[in-house]
Amino acid sequence: MAFIPTRSKRHITDPGSLKLNLNSMMDMFTIILLFLLKVYSTEGHLVNPSDDLTLPNSTMEKVPEMSLDLAISKDWLILNDKPVMKVNDLLASQQFIIPALQNELLRYANEAEKMQEKYGQRFSGSITIQGDKELPYRALVKVMATCGRSKYPNMRFLVYQNES
Amino acid sequence: MAFRPSQRTLRPKQDADPDLTPIMNLMVVLIPLLLTSAQFIKLGMIEINLPPAISADAMLNMPKETEKKLDLSVTITDEGFYLASSLAVARGRSGQGPTIPKLDTGEYDFAELNKNLYKIKKKATGVFKDVDQVIIVAEPEIEYQTVVSTMDAARAYMSDQEKLPLFPTVSLSATVM
Repeated sequence: MAFIPTRSKRHITDPGSLKLNLNSMMDMFTIILLFLLKVYSTEGHLVNPSDDLTLPNSTMEKVPEMSLDLAISKDWLILNDKPVMKVNDLLASQQFIIPALQNELLRYANEAEKMQEKYGQRFSGSITIQGDKELPYRALVKVMATCGRSKYPNMRFLVYQNES
Repeated sequence: MAFRPSQRTLRPKQDADPDLTPIMNLMVVLIPLLLTSAQFIKLGMIEINLPPAISADAMLNMPKETEKKLDLSVTITDEGFYLASSLAVARGRSGQGPTIPKLDTGEYDFAELNKNLYKIKKKATGVFKDVDQVIIVAEPEIEYQTVVSTMDAARAYMSDQEKLPLFPTVSLSATVM
């Protein structure tokens, strides 16, 4: 026969073993962790897309490389984070070569060529162009023509990769 | 009165739960770390190489073109695509207008362009020298996205299983402003 507790102890429940159940939370965290590990890339961002523009989508799979960075946003033409001119002026100008941009580009090219002489860092003449996807073609052509005439013939367009 | 049972045999069963607190600590640190470094948007790059501007002297010394060239070009207008080569300009279905008109919804028909370019590629391979080059010309007001999508359509053709290269070397040409 079982031991019968005394009347005073009969209704005591044990509060010491109250424990939080973490199992479902652990499951969730494990799934999130695995997902994040999967999308984690060791390369990191070499090229950061600028603000105030939406890059076009493309099926291209080439990985972008570091180079001189020219962004054509909705308002400004930005070379290496420094604004060069307004996009409206670019659209309005009748010239094919844009002098303001050409001056800046030649300055960068000269610096890069000096670097090449002094430290042997090869000047490849490559430039990354980030354009807003609604940019009209005539503006793009003007920018490309200017780059081509300013010692930067290797142009790359930065795009978002389609998931397909 | 009954004997009190032995404390040893009736000791309540110990819970076998492992202590998860250190693992939770690890998770709390790892997840923000990975979240900040995760790359949700993949960036790509389209290469366009122009020959550096050359002087008139160099131009004269360039060898004369002897090979047959295809000189394929895709012209984007606000009505659709025109396809042209050194031999002919491809006509539209009704005999006039663009080769590949816009869809009824007002969108460009990139799938049809892709198919047509595939046909041209099949015919031109072996006959011409420059079967991986295409020149893209666009009207001044064409949007950048359309130009990029046209390049995509010209780059590769997805057949049933494999990806066949079409004209990966793209040049852009200026239009009359």
